[in-house]
Amino acid sequence: MSRILPSTARDPQLVRWGLRALSILFFLIGWEILAYQLDSLLFPSFTETLIALSQLISTPTFWQALWVSHQALLIGFACALLVGTTLGLIMGRWRAAEKVFDPYLNILLATPMSALIPIIILAIGLGLPARALVVFLFAVVVIVVNTRAGLRTLEPSWVEMARAFGANEKQLWWTILIPGALPAMMTGFYLGLGRALTGMIAVELLLIAVGIGRLILDYQGAFEAGFVYATIMFVVAEAVILLNALKYLERKLTPWAGQATIG
Amino acid sequence: MIELRGLEKTFPSQNGDAPTIALAGVDLKIETDEFLCILGPSGCGKTTILKLIAGLIAPDAGTITIDGVAVNAPGPDRAVVFQNFALLPWANVVTNIAFGLELRGMAKTAREAIALDLIRAVGLQGFEHHYPRQLSGGMQQRVGLARALAVNPKILLMDEPFAAVDAQTRRMLQEDLLQLAHTTRKTIIFVTHDMDEAVRLGDRVVLMSPRPGQIREAIAVAIPRPRPVDLDQNPRAIELKTYLWQQLRAMQN
Amino acid sequence: MATITRDAKLISRHPPASRAVPFREKISAFVRTTRATSLALLGGILAWEIAGHVLQFSFLPPFSAALNAMWRMTLSGEIPRNIFASLTALFIGYALAVCVGVPLGLVMGRYRKVDYALDSYLTILLASPSILFVPILFSIFGTSRLTQITLVFLYAFIIITVNARSGIKTVDSSHVEMARSFGASERQIFSRILLPGALPMIMAGLRLGMGRGVRAMINGEMLIVLIGMGALLRQYGSRFDAASVYGLLLVVIGIALLCTSTIQWIEQRVTRWTM
Repeated sequence: MSRILPSTARDPQLVRWGLRALSILFFLIGWEILAYQLDSLLFPSFTETLIALSQLISTPTFWQALWVSHQALLIGFACALLVGTTLGLIMGRWRAAEKVFDPYLNILLATPMSALIPIIILAIGLGLPARALVVFLFAVVVIVVNTRAGLRTLEPSWVEMARAFGANEKQLWWTILIPGALPAMMTGFYLGLGRALTGMIAVELLLIAVGIGRLILDYQGAFEAGFVYATIMFVVAEAVILLNALKYLERKLTPWAGQATIG
Repeated sequence: MIELRGLEKTFPSQNGDAPTIALAGVDLKIETDEFLCILGPSGCGKTTILKLIAGLIAPDAGTITIDGVAVNAPGPDRAVVFQNFALLPWANVVTNIAFGLELRGMAKTAREAIALDLIRAVGLQGFEHHYPRQLSGGMQQRVGLARALAVNPKILLMDEPFAAVDAQTRRMLQEDLLQLAHTTRKTIIFVTHDMDEAVRLGDRVVLMSPRPGQIREAIAVAIPRPRPVDLDQNPRAIELKTYLWQQLRAMQN
Repeated sequence: MATITRDAKLISRHPPASRAVPFREKISAFVRTTRATSLALLGGILAWEIAGHVLQFSFLPPFSAALNAMWRMTLSGEIPRNIFASLTALFIGYALAVCVGVPLGLVMGRYRKVDYALDSYLTILLASPSILFVPILFSIFGTSRLTQITLVFLYAFIIITVNARSGIKTVDSSHVEMARSFGASERQIFSRILLPGALPMIMAGLRLGMGRGVRAMINGEMLIVLIGMGALLRQYGSRFDAASVYGLLLVVIGIALLCTSTIQWIEQRVTRWTM
């Protein structure tokens, strides 16, 4: 199927990045003007935010807070990857598992995970395990769903072909099922990482005031609008970099995959 | 010799539709080293027969035996060539061809040596490290064929293997297959919906009709091998093709 | 005509299988497919109830306790009042997201220059942990309902735009060429080729956007605690009243499932031709 637009490679890089740069420039100028119009203690201008950011990066408390937050991210996301892919593969392969877990998966997909945070704290307290569990819950569902989808959309002819050549169950998994599902799994990892980052911040903003969330709350309380925005900007930049790195990894690991659809 | 006796196969209903009776009592004997073409419209069960012989599915009734031994699973004596190639997109040509051998536990150097030999045999020199997405349909099917040959099966099962390529490529692949059949000794069961192909390639043509699937008749092609390249002028071929087309046309109603 | 050798006998034909499926069979098929789901859910609820009584964990009250809490809060008017508040923010924000997101996505998909100009925003918005919008919106709009509506809008609008754009970009160009060859104008190409072609992805975006909208609604209300289901969740959560939290969750999840199912139903009706 050919795309509707002719290959975008025809547009010189100058046009592409020029338009993007111009657009962002307009946005920043607009932001600056808006800030001066509003003249609010809560809404900083772009320059204020930049200054705050430069100060922020040079304070050790910022990096400590970052590390505290990311501990939960690392543990929670790693567990989500493990559990999510395993469960997704099981559900994708065995219809019985699918039938049992599917209704719960749909419910979890519709559940705003933030609402579960008080219950998690009730169960395991206010420490790192609770935050890691929150990150885990935010990320795991979308990983399971995409992994399962990866198995479902495998070409059945590959499985048939492998069976025709005498593959046993173990061989089927390692030579066909996992490589075949990998592109969809990577989409799941990508989406899961985004959710994990949200979870990391959400629990800190809502109930366990440590790390980055604590910083934001403190700066808000002190009406340090520039620092609030600077912290947010940093996290957003980190998210964009991490997710793009993952996209790059995805392309390197699964070069045969088609265009990923966002979902 | 492959013997099919009283084969019946019904596929259960999906979404509340009526169940599909794929085969309603099929009897067939296939001689060793015979090139048999199974011809029929869609829904006549020809692919089902192939899958039954391959051991990929089990019949509801009836038996399949190969040289007296019952068939109930895929085995080293049979290999399949698929209509949509079924190549692994994440592996290159060599790895794809060696896939069957890899599953059987052959060491990497040994199986890649076999694969390289076959690459030459099917005319894909220079493409050893290419990936399926970089190959044309005809080339992909050559890889599929090489993969099947790599495991050295006694029986080659081909499921409309040339249906997904253009007419010119199809002719070339047919000629290559005829060459191959001439030089190696294998039983080849070739499923097709194209009566020209069936007459061109087969020693015998089994004509099937649909709803429910059953064998109408088996006809000996009786054109001596090696087949002339210009089969279109051959009177016997013309007669056969005309007859087959009449039968197929009548089945459309 | 020369002889054609036949060596298989002609078998008499069975009558062709009837294709019409009686209504009764359709019903039983439906029951069969939902039976597994219902059994799984009932099993889960039963396990929950038993575990709640037996294990006596403070964070796991029995299912009946959650139902009780839900009933109590409904009678006291807490739930009805706050559902109304939440849903108004949700529907306004979502409606805005659809009205802005779909056209924007279509335009971005169709005109490359616009796409280049605006796609950096989409990338950033898509990658950001969405909960960070809350402090930002709070700093602009304070505690007014505008914060909630804008939050829902932002969460939903991103995915709707991205999907609409993707939908246009993946329309088969041969269809466009065909329309051009018959002299179609730009407007006709848009309405007869591009829009129908992009419709499946647009509808998928609408469905996903609804799910995200519900999450935005809750997140926003939990952080800026004034009214709404999220506020209730925060209140009972800070008292660690697990039964009430579960009771509220049942309502919220119910709303979320209802809303997304409705969109899904519309989606299936509208995209029937792609089946």
